[in-house]
Amino acid sequence: MTIPQLLNDLLQLLFDMAVPAAMCTMVLAGLALRQESGVNFEIGGRFQRWMLWSVILLTLPQFLSWFAAQGITLPPQGAGISGPWLRSMETSFTSFISDVVLAKLVPVLAAFFVLKAALDAAQGWSPLGSIVAAIFLLSISGSVRLMQGFNSGGEFATTDMLVSLWNYLAGTILPEAAGLAVVGAVINYSRKKPFMPLVFSALAFLSVTALWKLVQAMVG
Amino acid sequence: MFENGLLNLTNWAGNVIMPTLAGLFFAAAIYQFSKAHPYSHLSWAGFAALMCSGLLRALEAFAQQAGPNDPDRYWISILTLVNWVGNVMLPLYGVIQVVMMVLHSAGVLERMTIGDAWVRNLVAAMMCFGLSGLLRLAEFWIQNGTTGVR
Repeated sequence: MTIPQLLNDLLQLLFDMAVPAAMCTMVLAGLALRQESGVNFEIGGRFQRWMLWSVILLTLPQFLSWFAAQGITLPPQGAGISGPWLRSMETSFTSFISDVVLAKLVPVLAAFFVLKAALDAAQGWSPLGSIVAAIFLLSISGSVRLMQGFNSGGEFATTDMLVSLWNYLAGTILPEAAGLAVVGAVINYSRKKPFMPLVFSALAFLSVTALWKLVQAMVG
Repeated sequence: MFENGLLNLTNWAGNVIMPTLAGLFFAAAIYQFSKAHPYSHLSWAGFAALMCSGLLRALEAFAQQAGPNDPDRYWISILTLVNWVGNVMLPLYGVIQVVMMVLHSAGVLERMTIGDAWVRNLVAAMMCFGLSGLLRLAEFWIQNGTTGVR
């Protein structure tokens, strides 16, 4: 049975919306990150879920190709939208995401996070959570490009991207976080607060891959 | 990029803000000293604030004693930390204790006179007038120290 052109166009529209939608889920992940303290995340929490959705959206064609490989017939992708009305909708939506959400809304949200950091510090709390969330929001475009670079293009691109994200966290982000842990340890020491947990955390940040191997070795 | 933002934040906190705060830590230490209150942790915090990069390099050196995929890496890094504390820091601390023993047995700040601790006030006044110099001295020591680290 031939699929009607309108349905094909709608499907194509949804496929084309995957990357802009991933940008939106990354924004929501940034907001959830701050809600979950900014420097940590909850297992099964909103940050984790929005990040997972970002990965799924960025690897949607490859994700669906796995179903195709199981024998499930899927409509062709990348054929382009033939209807001018749906094409203009796609253009409008993409422009809205890039010109309004990323260019205007996200910097304002990040600015409010900086304000929140100053207010947190005024109340004697750590401003780090809000600052990290602000940096996360301001770097969404770059992060999405980075994640697209992690796309292996195969049927398992979704899990491959998650593995690459883990490697990126363990190899790039956490060694930088070790520097912040040292600064935090010095500040805690000067304020007569516990500082050894931060020293051991810094060592753990520098050894996350090894800790993963250790746990694997424990399981045998 | 997120990693650049985080790296710049870390550099700013460790190499700009903390060395600046070191002056405040030393000033607070002098104030505590003048009141005969415990001041040592503030003076050590001042030194640590000047050495954030060096402390991170030290932790990196501890963590790099084993390969990145070695399951024993974390244990070895803690072991190296313990060795460093036991074989480097404690002997240095012991030397400081010997110096303090000599000073205390000589009665400096405690038995120079009967009554007011005028030496403490004199030394506190001298340090108050010369905090910039003391900070420069601490920075000089740390910069000289980095040339000694191999």
